Amino acid sequence: MKAQQAMGTLDAGEKAQAADLLVTVASTLNERLGVTAVELARSQALLKEASDEMLVAFRGAADRLVAAQKIDCADRPEKPEYTVVLDHLYRAVQHLQSHDLVSQLIEAQKHRVQKMRDKLTEALSLSHPPDARAMLDCIVAGIAHMDQDVHAPRAESMQSGSVDLF
Amino acid sequence: MKTILAVDDSATMREMVAFVLESAGYRVIEAEDGAQGLDRANATSCDLVITDQNMPNMDGLTLVRSLREMRDYKAVPILLLTTESSDNMKAQGRAAGATGWLVKPFDPATLLQVVQKVLR
Repeated sequence: MKAQQAMGTLDAGEKAQAADLLVTVASTLNERLGVTAVELARSQALLKEASDEMLVAFRGAADRLVAAQKIDCADRPEKPEYTVVLDHLYRAVQHLQSHDLVSQLIEAQKHRVQKMRDKLTEALSLSHPPDARAMLDCIVAGIAHMDQDVHAPRAESMQSGSVDLF
Repeated sequence: MKTILAVDDSATMREMVAFVLESAGYRVIEAEDGAQGLDRANATSCDLVITDQNMPNMDGLTLVRSLREMRDYKAVPILLLTTESSDNMKAQGRAAGATGWLVKPFDPATLLQVVQKVLR
């Protein structure tokens, strides 16, 4: 806000200089955010690759357990070893959800980065002819609206979440 | 055998929910968003619906409201299973007619306890 107010008191030469500075800042920031966007996408891809492999292992164990239970259920429906294996699989279920949660977190950051990049690109389009005030307003609006429509999970750990029955 | 409709746009989450419920003897039908969930609920008589909130096409709260308008689902328990945990969202869920609100990640044993409780 202070920068926006100060912009109103500049003469023509200073305004042109301010516009040049804003172009440098906006283009450099946009470039760095571009790198961040690529790294976020890579993180998501790596996470998916690892999760897919873990899911294959999980499915293998779960399918074997279900098949073994079907064969044995006639004579001993409650084999203690099955309960132990099921407990391990349940524990895996809780932590395999990390893929979904972390992926949503990354998605929220990608959304924020993209919104800011869109606004920086819009601000840069206002530099021909240079309009420092409009560029600054555009960048400030981008920062103000970065969190709109972002659905980031609030979980701080993979401990189970709350339960409310109405 | 009780039939449970699990609605989530994440295939991993659907698989996790289905595994836990099937291991406890329930039959599970899956849907990948609210719109598909509504179609599945129309086509099959479900004893319980478990749905995510943030999904493409139709979100969880809209699905709850749509199901509550259907005669067959006026009394069927509906659970929201979501990463959303704000009191405001929970209040919206309650007002829409949801039976309960579970925040991800879910603990399988807790999920089964809640399912048993609401199906009683």
